[in-house]
Amino acid sequence: MAPDLTPVQQERLRAIHSRYTQPTFVTQLALLAVLLLIPVTFSSFRVIDVTSKIMIFTIVVASYDVILGYTGLLSLGHSMFFGIGAYSLALVIYHASSPSWYHLLIAAAIALGLSVTLALVIAFFSLRVKAIFFAMMTLALAEFTDILAVQWYDLTRAEDGVSFKMPGIFDVGWSGPTIGPLELNGRVMTYYFILIVSVILFGVMLRFVRSPVGRALKAVRDNESRATALGYKTFHYKIFSIVFGSSVAALAGVMFAMWVGYVSPGSVLSTPIMLNILLMVIIGGLGTLYGAIVGAAFIKITETWLPDMQKVAEALLPKSDLVHRLAERWILYFGVLFILVVFFFPKGFVGTARDMIKRRKAKAGR
Amino acid sequence: MAAQAGEQALRLSESELDLKKWVLWALSVGIWFVPLVWIDPITYLTLTIAGVTMGMLLFLTASGLTLIFGLMDVLNLAHGAFFAWGAYAGFSLLNWLNAKGWVELAGVGQSVGSLAMVLGVTLVVGALLGVILERIIIRRTYGNHLKQILITMGASLVMIEIIKILWGPNDEVILVPAAFRDSWDLFDVIVNKFRVVAILVGSLVFAAIQISLQKTRLGITVRAGVENRELVQILGYNIRRIFTGVFAAGAALAAMGGVMFAIFKEQIYPGMGEENLIFALIVVIIGGMGSVTGSFLGAIMVGLAFNYVAFLVPKLALGVNIMIMAVILLLRPKGLMGRE
Repeated sequence: MAPDLTPVQQERLRAIHSRYTQPTFVTQLALLAVLLLIPVTFSSFRVIDVTSKIMIFTIVVASYDVILGYTGLLSLGHSMFFGIGAYSLALVIYHASSPSWYHLLIAAAIALGLSVTLALVIAFFSLRVKAIFFAMMTLALAEFTDILAVQWYDLTRAEDGVSFKMPGIFDVGWSGPTIGPLELNGRVMTYYFILIVSVILFGVMLRFVRSPVGRALKAVRDNESRATALGYKTFHYKIFSIVFGSSVAALAGVMFAMWVGYVSPGSVLSTPIMLNILLMVIIGGLGTLYGAIVGAAFIKITETWLPDMQKVAEALLPKSDLVHRLAERWILYFGVLFILVVFFFPKGFVGTARDMIKRRKAKAGR
Repeated sequence: MAAQAGEQALRLSESELDLKKWVLWALSVGIWFVPLVWIDPITYLTLTIAGVTMGMLLFLTASGLTLIFGLMDVLNLAHGAFFAWGAYAGFSLLNWLNAKGWVELAGVGQSVGSLAMVLGVTLVVGALLGVILERIIIRRTYGNHLKQILITMGASLVMIEIIKILWGPNDEVILVPAAFRDSWDLFDVIVNKFRVVAILVGSLVFAAIQISLQKTRLGITVRAGVENRELVQILGYNIRRIFTGVFAAGAALAAMGGVMFAIFKEQIYPGMGEENLIFALIVVIIGGMGSVTGSFLGAIMVGLAFNYVAFLVPKLALGVNIMIMAVILLLRPKGLMGRE
């Protein structure tokens, strides 16, 4: 190795050389293979549904992690950007007389435009004072957007929600040829589309946090005054991070609307969505990006099979009104879980796992 | 020579600052008469009373939030849950009192008595819940904003779900003491009786907070704690107990705001606290975080603006609060009365 390289450059070179032998790389490939094979092996709608939602929420949570975990800014309005994306697609398709594939592009463009503008405005107003201002502003704006969507019936059809049909091959009713065990239909095509876009977006985010910009963001998170002293314009970097994370979330929102085919304030804009994202990011681990996969998978799988457990509880104690009432309130357990995780598991799965690996390595090294 | 020029420049900027301040004051006072261009004076007065009422109700909630933030540096997102708990506690008490004939069929004295009882009980309920939450949860998170926000969000969720378990998830109608139900007609200006009560209670609370913060020994300690926590501790005050007290007071104010708001709207539902929390947050941001006077001004500003705009351009009513917030933050990034 050339002696005139800086330590950082040496580290990078080493990382590039061992790129394809890393356990991470193998895991990535395995995960990708599993995701590719899911529509082939499982014909049940539920599994495909959960998997695609996991992918979408992985993107949302990872983009949130860019803002919270890598830059250290607590945004409470991430669901707003997600909702903006979802509503962009829903409304564009709903109001188009004959929806076509390019409406998808228009919706994505609208979602990006809106979210970038909004993120810039929020950042400009709130970052000038204190970090906590940002949390308050985003919370206020997110709630406001939620109320707006509920009240503005002419545009958003309020709580009735907007249901729409995707055009062309993404239409649920579309059915194509059968290749081996895989029957191509609208659902499967949408699934693969979401898979491709998610992989691309996740790759972009990975690249982003490892780029010089990403490293500067970590510096801002860890010690802002020092980063300023080193000559970084921390204000610009923060804005960049917010705009980037928010627009990725908006794109994920577009995918969500595409998959579900129905958008309502309760399903994309309300506070529980934001809490969901927060819980996912914490369970996965802050500042790890891969944690997003774990967190999203954990929550979405629990969410899907929890009602079953509820039925079991009701079947066991059929007469008790209290049990029924308790079982109905699954958000309660969700909240308790939330508090417990924040207290006792603050690093999340990936963070804890990394710590363990590091400790083991340190022991082996000694 | 150079020094003189510098001094002159300084003086100039000072006078500029003065001018800016005056313009700000003139604007913030004058703007409330602008609606008179479109609204006839009698409607204007009715709307103004409605606006001030709304402002007072908002202030009750926002004051607790800003107090807790100012002293403890805690952004309490469970504030909305205290609000809802207050409303539901008041609801139960009013039902109980009604069985004794103190609400629906009450005379003036009984109405006042039952309202006072309701306010007292909700204050106690709020304070108790506040103490519990502070002791069990928030105490462990001092100094870590992220954790505080997450924990209080989680706590809020749990508290609201418990409301749903205890009282059911549906909207309920809250009873209004008979003496406060109708309205007076003063020269065609319709004055709802409960609005007068709300304005009275709000002003009383504002005065009480100001007096206890400015004049009492406890208030001085609290203010000193805001300025420099360590130094107060060094002087031998148990800052932890003061923290618990302030948190309980904030929660009690939220609970009282909740029951007042519920009686004002004559209905309650579990999500009411969360919806009100945004308004309280906006008010606190406008007023400057940690400033009670600021949030008082901010609350009245928001209340008035909401009512005028709701009358003139109903569609804009919800957006106007955000717009006020944006304008104030443009002019004063720290809010009306915010400090470093």
